[in-house]
Amino acid sequence: MEGVSYQRFPKVKIRELKDDYLKFELRETDASMANALRRVMLAEVPTIAIDLVEIEGNSSVLNDEFLAHRLGLIPLTSDRAMVMRFSRDCDACDGDGQCEFCSVEFHLHVRCDSDQTLDVTSHDLVSSDPSVVPVDVQRADSVGYDTSEQRGIIIVKLRRGQELRLRAIARKGIGKDHAKWSPAATVTFMYEPEIHINEDMMETLSLEEKREWIESSPTKVFGLDPNTQQVIVIDAEAYTYDDEVIKKADSMGKSGLVEIYAKEDSFIFTVESTGAIKASQLFINAIEVLKQKLDAVRLSEDTEEADDQFGELGAHMRGG
Amino acid sequence: MGVAEHLSVDKQFLSAPVKSTVDKFQLLPEFLKVRGLVKQHLDSFNYFVNTEIKKIVRANDRITSLVDPSIYLKYTDVKIGEPSITADNVTDALTPHMCRLSDLTYSAPIMVNIEYVRGSHVHKTIEEKRNVVIGSMPIMLRSCRCILNGKDEAELARLGECPLDPGGYFIVKGTEKVILIQEQLSKNRIIIGTDKKGRLNASITSSTESTKSQTVILMDKEKIYVHLNAFTKQVPIMVIMKAMGMESDQEVVQMVGRDPKYAALLLPSIQECADSDVHTQQQALEFLEKKVKKFTFSNPSQDKEGRAMDILRDVLVANVPVRRGNFRPKCIYVAVMMRRMMEAILNKDAMDDKDYVGNKRLELSGQLISLLFEDLFKTMNSETKKNMDMNLTKTRSNLFDVSKFMMKGTYSITQGLERAISTGNWDVKRFRMHRKGMTQVLARLSFIATVGHMTKISPQFEKSRKVSGPRALQPSQWGMLCPCDTPEGEACGLVKNLALMTHVTTDEEEGPLISLCHSLGVEDLELLSAEELHTPNSFLVIFNGLILGKHKQPQHFANAMRKLRRAGKIGEFVSIFVNEKQRCVYVASDGGRVCRPLVIADKGVSRIKELHMKELRDGIRTFNDFVRDGLLEYLDVNEENNALIALYESEAGPETTHIEIEPFTILGVCAGLIPFPHHNQSPRNTYQCAMGKQAMGNIAYNQLCRMDTLLYLLVYPQRPLLTTRTIELVGYDKLGAGQNATVAVMSYSGYDIEDAIVMNKSSLDRGFGRCIVMKKLSATNQTYGNGTSDRIIRPQKVGSDAERMQILDDDGLAAPGEIIRPQDVYINKESPINSKDGGVPPTGLPDSAYKSTRQTYKGPQGETAVVDRVSLYTDNNNNLCIKFLIRQTRRPEVGDKFSSRHGQKGVCGTIVQQEDFPFSERGICPDLIMNPHGFPSRMTIGKMIELLGGKAGVSCGRFHYGSAFGEPSGHADRVETISETLVNHGFSYNGKDFIYSGITGCPLQAYIFMGPIYYQKLKHMVLDKMHARARGPRVMLTRQPTEGRSRDGGLRLGEMERDCLIAYGASMLIFERLMISSDPFEVQVCRVCGLLGYYNHKLKTGICSTCKNGDNISTMKLPYACKLLFQELQSMNIVPRLKLTEA
Repeated sequence: MEGVSYQRFPKVKIRELKDDYLKFELRETDASMANALRRVMLAEVPTIAIDLVEIEGNSSVLNDEFLAHRLGLIPLTSDRAMVMRFSRDCDACDGDGQCEFCSVEFHLHVRCDSDQTLDVTSHDLVSSDPSVVPVDVQRADSVGYDTSEQRGIIIVKLRRGQELRLRAIARKGIGKDHAKWSPAATVTFMYEPEIHINEDMMETLSLEEKREWIESSPTKVFGLDPNTQQVIVIDAEAYTYDDEVIKKADSMGKSGLVEIYAKEDSFIFTVESTGAIKASQLFINAIEVLKQKLDAVRLSEDTEEADDQFGELGAHMRGG
Repeated sequence: MGVAEHLSVDKQFLSAPVKSTVDKFQLLPEFLKVRGLVKQHLDSFNYFVNTEIKKIVRANDRITSLVDPSIYLKYTDVKIGEPSITADNVTDALTPHMCRLSDLTYSAPIMVNIEYVRGSHVHKTIEEKRNVVIGSMPIMLRSCRCILNGKDEAELARLGECPLDPGGYFIVKGTEKVILIQEQLSKNRIIIGTDKKGRLNASITSSTESTKSQTVILMDKEKIYVHLNAFTKQVPIMVIMKAMGMESDQEVVQMVGRDPKYAALLLPSIQECADSDVHTQQQALEFLEKKVKKFTFSNPSQDKEGRAMDILRDVLVANVPVRRGNFRPKCIYVAVMMRRMMEAILNKDAMDDKDYVGNKRLELSGQLISLLFEDLFKTMNSETKKNMDMNLTKTRSNLFDVSKFMMKGTYSITQGLERAISTGNWDVKRFRMHRKGMTQVLARLSFIATVGHMTKISPQFEKSRKVSGPRALQPSQWGMLCPCDTPEGEACGLVKNLALMTHVTTDEEEGPLISLCHSLGVEDLELLSAEELHTPNSFLVIFNGLILGKHKQPQHFANAMRKLRRAGKIGEFVSIFVNEKQRCVYVASDGGRVCRPLVIADKGVSRIKELHMKELRDGIRTFNDFVRDGLLEYLDVNEENNALIALYESEAGPETTHIEIEPFTILGVCAGLIPFPHHNQSPRNTYQCAMGKQAMGNIAYNQLCRMDTLLYLLVYPQRPLLTTRTIELVGYDKLGAGQNATVAVMSYSGYDIEDAIVMNKSSLDRGFGRCIVMKKLSATNQTYGNGTSDRIIRPQKVGSDAERMQILDDDGLAAPGEIIRPQDVYINKESPINSKDGGVPPTGLPDSAYKSTRQTYKGPQGETAVVDRVSLYTDNNNNLCIKFLIRQTRRPEVGDKFSSRHGQKGVCGTIVQQEDFPFSERGICPDLIMNPHGFPSRMTIGKMIELLGGKAGVSCGRFHYGSAFGEPSGHADRVETISETLVNHGFSYNGKDFIYSGITGCPLQAYIFMGPIYYQKLKHMVLDKMHARARGPRVMLTRQPTEGRSRDGGLRLGEMERDCLIAYGASMLIFERLMISSDPFEVQVCRVCGLLGYYNHKLKTGICSTCKNGDNISTMKLPYACKLLFQELQSMNIVPRLKLTEA
């Protein structure tokens, strides 16, 4: 075994990049690698989320736990998360989670004095750290919404005389512990399909049959070339591995009209972020976390005590 | 886009041309607006309050003194006022919510106007008093006497009431009580059946205002007898007839019918009568006199002549009145009963079916309360009379005032009504009625449970009967009673529920209807000869079980009556039923019949046209207008037999007389929640009906203002993606009890066998299945007879108990918002040590006179809860009462029970991280995974269609529908159209997706059926059930471990388990389980006498108290229960002796 290297050099090609959306190709690697990335993005890239809520006054309709749960789920901008400490590993505050290295404090004090219903939203949360604030869902590119109405995430609605006063502490955490720390809204990948049309057999079809065959796919994968009247692949990735076209070809008596394989070594990733960190950063952080985990594996071969060195990563390796 | 699409559909719908078949669905919401879901209860109560109570008072309106007949008291009017409470002579208006919170009874004063004689002997003046309160009547919520009646949503909200709450129940001492609908056999109707011995009989249960009796005419050994409770044994029919003045045998034969078949059947009876030498009325009466039941306690002087005559008049077929000694109607009635029985003998088909819904009557709260009230009112009157006479015999100086005596009885009416409703025991002495369980605490587990409870019908028969007949689904139930909603187990098929559109009638004035019948050509019975009774060319007309006469053209008569009904000249609920077989026309206006509205059709063409529906949509027309204009009418079960009802207008033929409004109205409220129930195996729908009542969700808009003993709420309840029309009509979309979960039907991890489901941890983190459990704790600051009272004192801030009192405020009560742990004190109360005698010194009791009676929270160790609310109020005895509401928020855990709406329940088998969950290319990750083995044997196709429809619904942004039988009328989406929508949105038409494994990242071998299904979280949660114990409390008597979870009991090794161990030969294990781990006890046994001794701790030896020495004492272990047995036997003079041998 010694000396044999299975090292591969995967390639990444970014297709589309927005703040909260990333689409890229990952080539020359296998499912284990792709899935590891996906899993890390979902569950192990750290973010900051409200973890402790101290209710000072609550005369709203929702009860304390209800509010705390809602507060926890508000995504906070977490660019600091990678350098922050987990509060349980924090030496500065003995893990009581109240120091600047491991926690961010929020205050919320809203009182309704008008006859109209007052929405308490994530914008009402006052952060002690300007870099950690609730994610602003209001964006320039959000079409179709009146931007003035878009006032953050609603926490609770208040009527006249109702008041909400609380202190919340946000901490670093990972999605494995609670979904509120997951930076990813959606991470998914698909195998890139490889479509081979048997041109000769296709030519035996009439134009009507071709159309019918193309229509049989629920997604727009194939099309007719307007000039040559030939069937062409418009969008291979729209193919959902539903086999409908193959079944159709079989029922037309043209088995083997088209052959579709999944390319085992190339993946198309779609990453959507909650806004806590940018989608691109999410991907980079994921690689970072994955690397740390692999480092831990490598080191643990040499030294037993290396386990402790990696803090919580060590715990993962021990099956935590 | 979704909104836009929806709107455009609506516009299209509105501008659509007049269709050939009219969409009659709009009638339903109108119907429910007019009638409501619990209208039957409200109508019944309103009828009682407005009409019946006046009748009762009028019937008993005079109390006349026996001593001085000129002294009397007369009720001139009665009415029921506004709900209010009188405390300390101050009357306050009551709101229902006030009553719920402070344990009061929602009742209104019963006020009468009286006229009475004042003064005795010389100065007699007639006085009048108005609005004298004689008691208070519990008021049904939303009835015409309730303050909620006619209030709009905002006003209801101000009163703390939920606008969706149906009402129809009572609030007695703070608990909501429903008087269940009682099902019973029709009163005053002839029913042909068989008795236990298989003899054919014709029976009738007569019920009039004054009496109730049962008359049975039966055929025994070819001869016909009458069975009456007033007679010691059955009496020959001919004797009865002769006693009633039918001395001529010929006339009797004529009355039964001159057909030789009938005459032959009657012959043996005539023979027997002649044999026993009864020929004249006098002889017959003498014969009967001997058979009259003698009452042992009555003095013989009262047993005078004429009792037989009285019985014939008042007991035999009591519903037929004898006016001025005219027995002829009664003779005819008995003859008709005989004829019906003979018909059944000749032709078995003529037997009546006791389970036929037309032979049943539903007794509702109004009728039941009126029974009770009548009894209480009469009792009050007789009490008043007694007191009056007692006082009149004494000579009194002050002025004699009758009304003063009346006041004493008022308490009994209030108390009697309150007690009956709160215990559910109906005891009416006059009718010898002792019914139990008439009321139930309104189920407030979920909104549907509440509504479902109001439609529940409880059976009269005992549940243990083995016969299947009453339990079976009756074809006549169609449209009236829900075919799905019935419990499983012993009450299966006996407890039923009303269907959506069912109406239960109330009594209607009889007099005008009778005279109408006569004027429509019914020949009076009096004018008919016996011969004419059964002439073949005419029909008997029977009105509410009473024979009115004959009519030559029954069909004409029926049509005329119906026309009058449609024109609104007679009550809309009067039923006219022509029974060709019995050659009778039945006219019924009595209360308790079930009926439902149907569209009238002329030669198969619906009377409702598009223009009517447009008027309805525009709000010009109401449901009642439809009835008034003769477009709709109510048919009861009997009259349905004269109608040919088409399901849809398109199916109507020239013979069709009626058209159904909507087919899904045959289901009730609970079954109406199920999407596509017509695609499911029927028991599955029944299971869901039971489970829907256990689902958590929102209970009412005022749920957070309530103080229920137990309240389960869902944190994020949702409206089902796949709805039905019933859901919208009932308001389930506003008070849902479940969440739309994305379900993948696949096998995963093996933790999903036997219906277990695998749940996604991230979904749970985000709030799926999260619920709030609230429990009530209460305490009373009691005042005692000697003037002392409990006190609530400030908590100790230091000392040993300080830790347990941390959550207390300075007032000694737990503060809202505090976290409460087991063993925490929530009320720091002290009670006086002496609460029986002595008094309170003016300085007050010293601290030493109090003992601590603080109450602690007892919950499962390690579980914390939060004090949600604390409320203080004063109870009826002027004691301060405190209610604490304890709240707990729970997230689903392994073992919690969930169910879809198709009777598919399952527990959570495991909770899996989201990254391990399968995902689709679109990034869809299911919330839960269900094992596909749940489908083949259950055959719940509806669930699959729900999944498809839900998936299409989320894709296109429109709620899809799945009403029962809704496909032809467009109230349910077809699978084809759903599939089309799916394909348009890039899904496979069959709802299956291409899925990757979350663990490996590889595609799964098969396509996975995945989409949203509405899931309910049921109230059964492991947290409330799990229990284990190592050591713990023991029962004092036997020293064995206690039983049951609530007492932290042990887990019993029962007889069967013991048998296994015996069979296996694990004797030491049995020894350990049954003795060492249970109740070991060391005893001193005397080897000489074999009796148990005792251990003397001074001498440090065992001593036998019988032998008076300690010479032959052995020590051994035996179960304490065994020692106890020995001692108990000894106390019964049985001496068990132990014989010991060396081991």
